[in-house]
Amino acid sequence: MNEFLVLVVEDDKPIRNLITTTLKMNDYRFITAVKGNEAIMLSASHKPDIIILDLGLPDIDGVEVIEHIRTWSDVPIIIVSARSEDRDKITALDKGADDYLTKPFSVDELLARLRVIQRRLMKSENISVTEFVNGRLRIDYVSGCVHLDDEELHLTPIEYRLLCLLAKNVGKVLTHKYIIQSLWGTPADNSEASLRVFMATLRKKLSDSSQALIQTHIGIGYRMMKL
Amino acid sequence: MSDKKKKKNAYISVLKDFGISLIILAAATIAGYLFKLGGLTDSNIIMLYIIAVLVISILTSKIYYCLGSSIVGVLVFNYLFTYPEFSFSAHDAGYPVTFLTMFITALIAGTLANKLKRNTLIAEQNAREKEEAALLAQNEQLRANMLRTISHDLRTPLTSISGNASTLISGGTALDETARQQIYTDIFSESMWLIEMVENLLYATRIEDGRMQLNISVEILDDIVQEAVRHTERTHPKRNIIVDMYDEIIPVMADANLIVQVIVNLMDNAVKYSDEDSDVTVSVHLENEYAVISVSDHGTGISDEEKEKVFDMFYTGGSRSSDSRRSLGLGLALCRSIITSHSGSVYVSDNIPNGTIVSFTLPIGEVDLNE
Repeated sequence: MNEFLVLVVEDDKPIRNLITTTLKMNDYRFITAVKGNEAIMLSASHKPDIIILDLGLPDIDGVEVIEHIRTWSDVPIIIVSARSEDRDKITALDKGADDYLTKPFSVDELLARLRVIQRRLMKSENISVTEFVNGRLRIDYVSGCVHLDDEELHLTPIEYRLLCLLAKNVGKVLTHKYIIQSLWGTPADNSEASLRVFMATLRKKLSDSSQALIQTHIGIGYRMMKL
Repeated sequence: MSDKKKKKNAYISVLKDFGISLIILAAATIAGYLFKLGGLTDSNIIMLYIIAVLVISILTSKIYYCLGSSIVGVLVFNYLFTYPEFSFSAHDAGYPVTFLTMFITALIAGTLANKLKRNTLIAEQNAREKEEAALLAQNEQLRANMLRTISHDLRTPLTSISGNASTLISGGTALDETARQQIYTDIFSESMWLIEMVENLLYATRIEDGRMQLNISVEILDDIVQEAVRHTERTHPKRNIIVDMYDEIIPVMADANLIVQVIVNLMDNAVKYSDEDSDVTVSVHLENEYAVISVSDHGTGISDEEKEKVFDMFYTGGSRSSDSRRSLGLGLALCRSIITSHSGSVYVSDNIPNGTIVSFTLPIGEVDLNE
C-alpha cells in the first residue's frame, strides 16, 4: 500500500472515476470532494499529502481553494484544467499550485506528475541549506559555485540566480511572471524574451538540450525536475 | 480627438472647393475677356460660364458651389461684359432674360453633373459592398464545409467508441481476452484521434475573417521544437524521431503554441505516410533572416502536381490514403494559414532517395537583453 493520501477534487463524475480508478490500481489511498468548500474542509481534517484539484468547480473557484489552503498548508497541489483556461492555469500556479494537468490528459501523465511530487516530498526531508544536489548538478550556495559532475560551470550572475530559483522550487512549475519578479523585481518589456534567452544559455551550459533537468512549459513557465 | 480632426478635414474640403470654384470662374472670365477682344459675341461668353459651372459641379462636393457659381457667373458677366461695362446695370431690355436663361441653364447643367457624379460614387460603393458580401459568403461557405466534414468525421469514431463500450458493458465477459483487448485498443485509438482532432479545431477557430488571431513574441526555437517532438513521441512511441538542431540559440518571432501545433501536424503526417520502421527527422537551419524548420520522412513521397494541392483545405490525397477518415485534410491547410500569418512560407520538396520534406520559415527575432 502506498502511504500517500491523495485528495481528488473534481465535480465531473467520469473524470473523478478515471482519476480514482487510476489511484486505486496504483495503490494510492484517496478521498474525494465534489465542491470547493468540501475540499477545503477535507484538506484541513484529513491532511492529504497531495491534492488533485479541478479548476472549474460548482461552488467556488479552484483558485480560491488554493488561496485558502495556502494560508495554513504547503501541501502539493496539482491542478486540472481544460486548454482554453490557460490564463486560469497561470493564476493558479502564481497562487501556489505546484503543477498542472491539461484535459484531456492520459493516465500515464497523471501518474508521472504524482511520482514527481512524491520524489520531491521524500527527498526534501534531508534538504541542506548550504548545498543542493540534483543528479549531476551540484550547487554550493556558500561559495556560489555550480558543478556538473566534477566540472565547474561558469555562470553569469543572472544565470546563477535563475538556477538557484529553480533549484529552491524543484519539482514546481514556476510561471514566467514569478521568475521575472524574482529576478528583476519590476518587469520590463523585454523581460520575457530575456528570460527565454538566459534560460537557453543556462540550459546549454548544463548540457540539458533534451530538457531532462529543466522543462519548458510553453506559454506557462519552467520547472526543474528532481532527478 | 477624432471629432476635432473631422472638423478640420471638413474645413479643408470647404476651402478647397471654394478655391476650385474661384479659379475656374476666374479662368472663364479671362477667356471671356479674350473672346471679347477677339470680337466674339456675348453668347460665346455665356457658354464659357455655363461650362465653368459644369466643371465646378463635377469637381466640388456640394451642390451649393454649383448654385453659387451660377449666380456669380451671371453677376460677373453683367458687370464686365454687358454695356455699360463695370456696372451692374444693363441697358438692353433683353439682358434680364439673358441673365435668367444663363442662370437656369448653368444651374440645370450643374445639377445634372453633380447627380452623375453621385451616381458613380454610389455604383462604386455598391460594387465594393457586393465584393465584401461575396468574400463573406465564401468564408461562410468554408466554415459550413468545415463543419459538415467535421461533424461527419466526429460521428465515426464516436459511434465506434460508444458501440464498443456498450458491448463491453452488456456482454464483456462472453468475449475472449483477445477480442476484449482489441475493443480496448480501438476505443483508445479512436479517442486519441478525437483528441488530436479537437486540438486542431481549437486552433482553426482562431481564424477569423481568414486571419489568425496571433499572440506573437520572441520565443526560443529549440523550446518549440522540443515540445512538438515530445508530443509526437507520446502519441507515436514506436517511431524513431531524429532531432537535428542548430548549435546556436535561435530566437524567433512566433506564437509558440501555434507553431508547436504546426510541427506536430507535420510530424504526424510524416509518421502516417511512411513505414513503421523508418525514421522521421526534424531539422533546423538558418537562411538569411529566417529560420527554416524541416520535417522529413522516408515514405512514398508526393508527386509534383499534388505538391500544391496538399495545402488546400480538406484535400486528403484522394487515391493514396485508404483510410482518408484519419487524414482530415485540415492539417496542412491550417499549418499554411498559421505560417502565412507569421510572415513565413511553407513548401514541400522531395527527400532523397525517397520520401517527403515539408519545410517552413519563421522570421528570426531580436532580443535586447535585460541584464
